[in-house]
Amino acid sequence: MQAPLESYRPPAAATPAAKWDWEIRPQTSWWGAGLAEYWSYRHLLIGLVRRDFLLGYQQTLLGPLWMLVQPLMTVITYVLVFGKVIGISTGSVPPVLFYLAGIVLWNLFNDSFLGTSATFSENAHIFSKVYFPRLLIPGARLASFLLSFGIQFGSLLLLLLYYWLFAGWAAPMPERLPLALLAVGLVSIQSIALGLLFSVLTGKYRDIKFLVGLGTRLLMFLTPVIYPMQHVAPKWRWLTELNPLTPLFELFRWALLGQGLVTAGQVLYSLGFTLLLFVVSVMTFNKQGDKLMDVV
Amino acid sequence: MAATAIQIEHLSKLYRLGTIGTGSLRQDMQRWWTMAVRKKADPYFQLDSTSARNSGQSLWALQDISFEVQQGEVWGLVGNNGAGKSTLLKIVSRIVRPTHGVVRGRGRVSSLLEVGTGFQAELTGRENIFLSGYILGMSKQEIRARFDEIVAFSGIEKFLDTPVKRYSSGMYVRLAFAVAAHLEPDILILDEVLAVGDAEFQKKCLGKMREVSQNTGRTILFVSHSMQAITNLCTKGIWLQNGKMKAIGEASQVVNQYLADTQQSNLHQSWNTPAGAPGNDFIRFKKVALVPQLAAPDEVLDIRTPLTVQFEFWNQTDDVLLSTNLVLFSSSGECIFDVPSAAVVCHSGVVSGECTIPGNFLNDGAYYVSLFVVKDTNTPLYDYENCLSFELEDYRGEIKWYGKWWGAVRPLFPFQLTQVETAVY
Repeated sequence: MQAPLESYRPPAAATPAAKWDWEIRPQTSWWGAGLAEYWSYRHLLIGLVRRDFLLGYQQTLLGPLWMLVQPLMTVITYVLVFGKVIGISTGSVPPVLFYLAGIVLWNLFNDSFLGTSATFSENAHIFSKVYFPRLLIPGARLASFLLSFGIQFGSLLLLLLYYWLFAGWAAPMPERLPLALLAVGLVSIQSIALGLLFSVLTGKYRDIKFLVGLGTRLLMFLTPVIYPMQHVAPKWRWLTELNPLTPLFELFRWALLGQGLVTAGQVLYSLGFTLLLFVVSVMTFNKQGDKLMDVV
Repeated sequence: MAATAIQIEHLSKLYRLGTIGTGSLRQDMQRWWTMAVRKKADPYFQLDSTSARNSGQSLWALQDISFEVQQGEVWGLVGNNGAGKSTLLKIVSRIVRPTHGVVRGRGRVSSLLEVGTGFQAELTGRENIFLSGYILGMSKQEIRARFDEIVAFSGIEKFLDTPVKRYSSGMYVRLAFAVAAHLEPDILILDEVLAVGDAEFQKKCLGKMREVSQNTGRTILFVSHSMQAITNLCTKGIWLQNGKMKAIGEASQVVNQYLADTQQSNLHQSWNTPAGAPGNDFIRFKKVALVPQLAAPDEVLDIRTPLTVQFEFWNQTDDVLLSTNLVLFSSSGECIFDVPSAAVVCHSGVVSGECTIPGNFLNDGAYYVSLFVVKDTNTPLYDYENCLSFELEDYRGEIKWYGKWWGAVRPLFPFQLTQVETAVY
């Protein structure tokens, strides 16, 4: 483009957008950034995951071992309280396996939902000083939680192996493993989708933060984490079945432990809900995020 | 002919004031009800309110800004606090969206609006170099390639594996700037980053910036309150005031216009009658004035300008030996000098005095003048405190050092270096 030397006013007829590398307009894109742009920030994603990992275990005695210690302690507590004291039956599954499967998956949901639901309020200082696709921050949180989930899941599989070899428990079914992974995938998408939605809300109204903590605790009781579905009274089952997490937890246990009350229709319901929620959340996050930047 | 790097067209940004979105869920629901359900105007926020800028609820941080930046140009943005400089940088950096208008550009943009964005106190220097590099948009290869350079520039070799929370604040800033200084974007956006660190480090930063802009042909947008830095580093300048473009053009011209407008000076005061004039039963001031000896009337007071203090007062006592002291204070209240006049016998009536502070004597900064009238060279009659105030801008000519110049005064003594002997190799 040939601009006269002293003319700072751009020519009235705008240059075609194709000639420019980038363009900033008042409208916000629904997707935040193009795929190419997300790809160019892959190092940042890895860097953020690394940061979360290093920060989590800085100045701790056991370091990353906490990933295993924490769920095992919870399992022991649950086995003692719910199994021995209150006496909730876990069906044909050994209580340790039953609780560990539930807790590991619930922790993934709980941690990544809580971890991403404060994205705006926690990262306002970075967002207001430098640009990068904002989805990277919750994305990195989810990735770090998936990492620790992977380790916990591995130890769950080892425990299953132990029970099969030494405790004479029914053989695991490796062909069902993909279904367990499907459940894990859907749970993590659902958790980040809810997290994104709530990050916009907590960015705007700080008090919602308290509701988030309370809400997840209540949600846990509506999800078959510490009780098997078949022990829920049939007249109350609809309530837990409304919860799109329920089929995923049952599917996870059915695939790994061979016990679970789930139908294909319920899984489809959960799948549809998850994908819809995800699309809506990402769009809300990107659209509202730009507005929030004027506020934070 | 260089290509256009950034084109800014009719850019405006409106901020809502107060606790935004009204801040409370109740009012937001009420607002949603009025707007979405009853299809009425926003009760809390009217965009097209007639009182242009500050209509109580909203503020135009930028209004209709248009300009073009060519590749390789260094632009300086000047203006008072709240003029919209940072908003402009934030829009070009994609941090906030404009309300109207478009920004288009060519090349990769990196913005440095703060030193140490993304630094994590718990992590080591090494980890932070990578993390902050990634956040600023560098790739792993780029950081690896410049890692040694970054460490050398920051001078923290020994502490590379120490968490930065144990760093001194100076080390922290040095490391943070070092990462940023080794960014290699096509367009660099800088906001006041030089306001941190000690003089030595500022010098290093400015040197680095100069090197970057001159040798690599990078386009830079730069906000600073140091006019010296702007005139020396920038080729083009923009002066923003209340979100509007007040002047645009050569950096030095824009800076001069801006300074001429903003120098907070009290250069002249006069009174017609003794009643109401500052003073007491003995002395009433009639006039105090500071007359700068400028070559042209639109020039800025800088350290080279000779300044003449002229004053007149009504003396209300007959046959008295009077002298006056001219006392100059720096903005921090330190006395720079106290110069007495010769004592003369005066009678009732008007007495005038004049004293010239030579150019190339004071350092840059803000100053206050007090006039102190004394009887018999030992009895104070009246101390007219802070009767004049003025600001001197910096001027360094060819000197390529931009840190704050030390000293209460900056006299220009004859000072010569001579080569006495030439080594023969």
